[in-house]
Amino acid sequence: MKKILTLLCVALTALSSCRSLREEWEPVFTFGENLPAAEKLYTEDDLREFGFGGKFTTIHDLKAMYKGGGIEVGGNVWIRGQVISSDVTGNIYRELYIQDETGGIDVKIGKSSLYSEFSLGQWVYVYCDGLTLGAYNGMPQLGMEADGTSTNEYETSYIDVQAIIDQHVYRGAKAEALKPLVVSENDIKAAISAGYTGELWGKLVTVPGLQYGNEIFALVYPNPNLPHKSTNPENRVFLSDKGTWGIDTWAMSKNLYMTYVMNGMFDEAEVGSGATRFGTITNRPQDFKDKIAAKAYDSFGSDVRLSYKEIMVKYATANYVSHYFRIGKTDVQVRTSGYARFSDTPLDSRLLDGSAKCDITGILSIYNGAAQFSLVDEPSVSVKVY
Amino acid sequence: MKRMLLAALAAIALSFSLSAQDYTGGVKGTVVNRNGRQPIEKARLVLSKGAEQVAETETLEDGSFSIPGLPDGMYTLTIVAPDFLDNQVQVTVNDGYVKNMFNLGMTAVNRITEIDDDSFGAFDMEDSGYNDNPTILFGSNDVFNNIAGYNFSAVRFRARGYASESQDVYLAGVRLNDAVTGYSPFSLWSGLNEAMRSKETVSGAEVSDFGFGGYNGLTNIFGNAASVRKGLRGSVLTNSTLYRLRLMGSYATGLMDNGWAFAVNVSARLGGNDWIDGVYYRSFAYYLAADKVFNNAHKLSFAFFAAPGERGAQNASTQEVYDLVGDNMYNSNWGYQNGRVRNARVRKTHEPVTFLKYDYTPSDKFEASATLLYRFGKNGYTALDWYDAQDPRPDYYRNLPSYFKDDNPDMNRMNRIKAGWAREVWTHAAQYPSLTHVDWDRLYNVNRNQADGRAKYIQEERHVDQHDFNLAASFKWRAADFVTVTGGVNGRINSTENYKLVADLLGGEYFLDVDNFAERDFASQPWKVQNDLNYYLAHGEARKLHVGDKYGYDYLAQVRSLGFWVNGKFVLGNLSASLGARLGNETFWRHGLMRKGLFPGYPSNAEMARQWEQAGIVPSDESSSWVSKKANFPTYAVKLNLNYVIGGSQRVYANVGYFNDAPKFNQVFLSPRTRNTMMQGVKPVKTFSSDVNWQYSGGGINVRATAFYTTIRNQSKVMSAYDDLQNAFSNFAITGIDQRNMGIELGFKVPTYIVENLSVQGVLSLGEYVYTSTPRMTQTVDNSAEIVSENVLVPYWKHTPVFAKDASGNYIPDGEGFYQVERWQKHYVPSTPQIAASLGLSYNYNYWFIDADVEYFGRSFLDMNPLYRTDYAVGGPDYVDAPDEVLYMTSQEMFDPAWLVNFSVGKSWYIKRKYQLGFSLNAKNVLNNKNIKTGGYEQTRLVDNTVSRERFYRFDPKYFYNAGFNYMLNIYFRF
Repeated sequence: MKKILTLLCVALTALSSCRSLREEWEPVFTFGENLPAAEKLYTEDDLREFGFGGKFTTIHDLKAMYKGGGIEVGGNVWIRGQVISSDVTGNIYRELYIQDETGGIDVKIGKSSLYSEFSLGQWVYVYCDGLTLGAYNGMPQLGMEADGTSTNEYETSYIDVQAIIDQHVYRGAKAEALKPLVVSENDIKAAISAGYTGELWGKLVTVPGLQYGNEIFALVYPNPNLPHKSTNPENRVFLSDKGTWGIDTWAMSKNLYMTYVMNGMFDEAEVGSGATRFGTITNRPQDFKDKIAAKAYDSFGSDVRLSYKEIMVKYATANYVSHYFRIGKTDVQVRTSGYARFSDTPLDSRLLDGSAKCDITGILSIYNGAAQFSLVDEPSVSVKVY
Repeated sequence: MKRMLLAALAAIALSFSLSAQDYTGGVKGTVVNRNGRQPIEKARLVLSKGAEQVAETETLEDGSFSIPGLPDGMYTLTIVAPDFLDNQVQVTVNDGYVKNMFNLGMTAVNRITEIDDDSFGAFDMEDSGYNDNPTILFGSNDVFNNIAGYNFSAVRFRARGYASESQDVYLAGVRLNDAVTGYSPFSLWSGLNEAMRSKETVSGAEVSDFGFGGYNGLTNIFGNAASVRKGLRGSVLTNSTLYRLRLMGSYATGLMDNGWAFAVNVSARLGGNDWIDGVYYRSFAYYLAADKVFNNAHKLSFAFFAAPGERGAQNASTQEVYDLVGDNMYNSNWGYQNGRVRNARVRKTHEPVTFLKYDYTPSDKFEASATLLYRFGKNGYTALDWYDAQDPRPDYYRNLPSYFKDDNPDMNRMNRIKAGWAREVWTHAAQYPSLTHVDWDRLYNVNRNQADGRAKYIQEERHVDQHDFNLAASFKWRAADFVTVTGGVNGRINSTENYKLVADLLGGEYFLDVDNFAERDFASQPWKVQNDLNYYLAHGEARKLHVGDKYGYDYLAQVRSLGFWVNGKFVLGNLSASLGARLGNETFWRHGLMRKGLFPGYPSNAEMARQWEQAGIVPSDESSSWVSKKANFPTYAVKLNLNYVIGGSQRVYANVGYFNDAPKFNQVFLSPRTRNTMMQGVKPVKTFSSDVNWQYSGGGINVRATAFYTTIRNQSKVMSAYDDLQNAFSNFAITGIDQRNMGIELGFKVPTYIVENLSVQGVLSLGEYVYTSTPRMTQTVDNSAEIVSENVLVPYWKHTPVFAKDASGNYIPDGEGFYQVERWQKHYVPSTPQIAASLGLSYNYNYWFIDADVEYFGRSFLDMNPLYRTDYAVGGPDYVDAPDEVLYMTSQEMFDPAWLVNFSVGKSWYIKRKYQLGFSLNAKNVLNNKNIKTGGYEQTRLVDNTVSRERFYRFDPKYFYNAGFNYMLNIYFRF
């Protein structure tokens, strides 16, 4: 009996001294030395391990490689820049803007909550080989090969595979957030005429002395779940050419959009796109039956009997709004996402009634040959009214 | 009523005064283990004449028994002992002599002893609304349950296709199924195998002495000190699918001369396993009990036990993930933290149970007992929670190749480079641990990056903490030789608090108590996104949470039930009949303890009304706090049992029952985490159940054959799923689910007669468990009072149409705008094989046992979600339900059939005739088949962003698999 017991004890001791076995019996302590180490931040020397040759390409020179259409970057191209965007307010989403002395660029990292990993001012190194340089309505973007889908209309797609991000985007030292570049009307004009490689695009910029233009632009889709490209004008409603349509907020959250629609603010807006105009949203798809393509008409299902207005309420989503501002004779739009936390914040009343000017700070981009702002911070910070 | 009571009392008094007539005849003998002739203590002996039970006794420590005072005649003696197969022998008493049966051998059931809650890995069903509660078949005294219980547990076999909630599990005479969910309570005593070994079991709709029961059997675990096997016992167990090591010890005094009995049982289960990474145990168990017998007629039993500890859970993934990783046992719940494996989902429990039982046995004719039982403590389950941060789950669908490329152009997924990289990562999982497992290091670093200290990722712990008070009393009265009356009363008060708390801030300083789902819709109304509106009103901001703080939701599920039952058993020669009825009432309600901004309800006083108005808070009809309406359900049931004994060793019996049961709390509240709203139109569940059985027992042969037919109507359930298109938790409430379960069961164990001590054993369970109704579905989302769809029919729930095709393969129009249906494909009750069979050999000789079995499982189906079976889902955005769409969207997946081979061997030695040392080794799935699906669920979501905008697609379902070759080695010793 004793022998057997001894044998058992020996076996047990042997078993428990096995390292791998011991590990699975110990709890993972969540304090002290068991906490994960601080994140590794890369120095320029570290990058050599990943093939960095010692010389960075400037963002300007990178942009200069663009020849129209999306192009895949090659030739061991590395850029570096400091982070100037943050998605903390939700206005900028799935995009990271970095800038160096020569320009800024939109790196389309297709992930949310990037501010948790890229802090303002932090150095970022991007290995560009294999990424695609493209344009979105004239604005430079660095992303992935465009999707091969039939409906794709972009030159690039999001870098949303973490393994690809890990191989191309390296976080470096943290630094003070950059001060915005204060620019004049002439600077903007110069950038617009430079086009794609314009130095201001994708940079953090302050435009001083802007006057509110009393005009907005927005495009909403009555049923966003149905096709809504330009080939489906029956599912597009433009809010333009009529001042502000009563919109005094930076954008429209789902709830605010519903309120606006129900209040009748958009009753005079027309369904249609370009030259194809069907009539106001108080009509039903049924009323336009002979003008709408049969397939598109069927896709409304029983909703054909609802007015467009009712359809807009039924399928409401958040919607962006572009407000027009002016410096001298140059228009600068401020485009705000309906998903921004400040989307429902009203513009300062002194701007609306024209009694004050403002300095706006944000990321400047080019959109179809015009300058367009995206606010990074809340308007209380990025729009200084005086 | 009063008169009836008086009559009953008089009858009881009368029965006491009757004493056994002075017969000199009797039966005596010794019950022994057929192998080795060791005496068996506490074997229960029941002596019957025809169908009439004449006497009942227990063997003493030396295995002996004696039943005196018998008139001459032919009797049947049935011997039942834990861990042994039932035995039946014929006895003839003549000339007034005491018949000495000498040694009555029992065949040991060697393997069943280790089946308990641990036999099933904890499957993590996330918030899917599906549940995974296996049925555990007990009953070494039933040849079918004995073999099926051991061999079929791996594939989550459910007897007769019934849900586990229908299996009644009693402890010390108290029904302990969970008051809120109805689930069986085995986890309360897992690891206390010695203490909980003694039990009585009936199957199907049979009536037992200790409770009325339902239609899916009843198991009563004694759990008192005297029922624990006497002596000092210890065991060391290792197994390869759950934990490395189990240490267990017990000591019991047995009933001592001074009337006391004491028992202790402790155990520890530790370590990981060979198959599923991240699954581990750090569980302990303790049990203390004492019995005291006074004057032979009164007995008090007390016990206190719990199984505290933690165990890591396993998660289901899609087949895409399993195929890429090359491992069907991949578990997405864990990741490396600083190089160490850490599981995000850990069940942490400490739920003690204590009871006091009083037994009163004034005579052979009458016995009664009453038990007061209290269950309390903590039951937590951790999970990751995050706010404004990327989904941390590694197998999130946007991380998989299929999200970037799909061969179907309509899916609009065409990016070969991205798909290629995602594939590269998943096919080389070991090289990319941070991408294919939870990246704890990243979660910490994200939290550390927050300048304000506000954590983005935390580990939460969801609690379901019970206060469960039970009182049960029952009696058994042999009013006359031909009639026995049993009956009882049971009452229950259950208050279950559901809440979550911050378990780990993962490097952050605090977490904020706001509803991140609501925030997106109501950014400009900060009061609406508050989980705790009262705190916000008092402090002007949301609560900053630290470790241990409750947050998110907090409510009580309150359940009250009261019931009475009575059963009369009448014997007429070889025929016996019992007729029983149960009457009761169940009431439950929700009591919200936190006022949520989305559903503030109405202010409860003028001061609050003023405060609300000031803060701009809009009252709502639906309320998150205070007390909901009460759901009240009268319950009743009747049962009839007929039993005919043929020649002592054969028995034919039939059961029929009708049950009107209350639905469960979690089947009635639409979204109990957020509000008091109840589902409309919930009705009591009505069950009709019947079975016919034939049993043969004797001469080493045990056979049972059963045919059963059951219909269950008006079932309801609520399922929840996170819908990232709505950015909200969607709740799908289904009412009016009917099903029909019918089939046969066969179990046998027969000596081969060719080789001595070698038996053939097998079971067959062949059934058809189908849905028979068209239920209705109501969809709501957690962050809105708005009803997405209300009471819509789910026409494809019970079947899928198979359309007729012409010679060239085209569907044939039916002349009414649609297509001809050739037949309707039935949909089946999921999560159990509808065919299960086992055939094996069993060898028992000289303390050796060797068993080998081959098993077959077939016709197992995947759990269905109701959304895919609606007209909406088959219609798609264009509302056109083409035959292909209908077929694709509504059909139910059938799992591939599976073969398993199991093998067991064991031996024990007696040392100095005093100590016993033994081992048993069970090897399961010897063929190492790693492709056996044991369960899973459909994701309740639709892919709707297609190119054509004509149809929807399904999300891939998630599966669980059976482990490949695995073993369990148990070494035990007894002093």
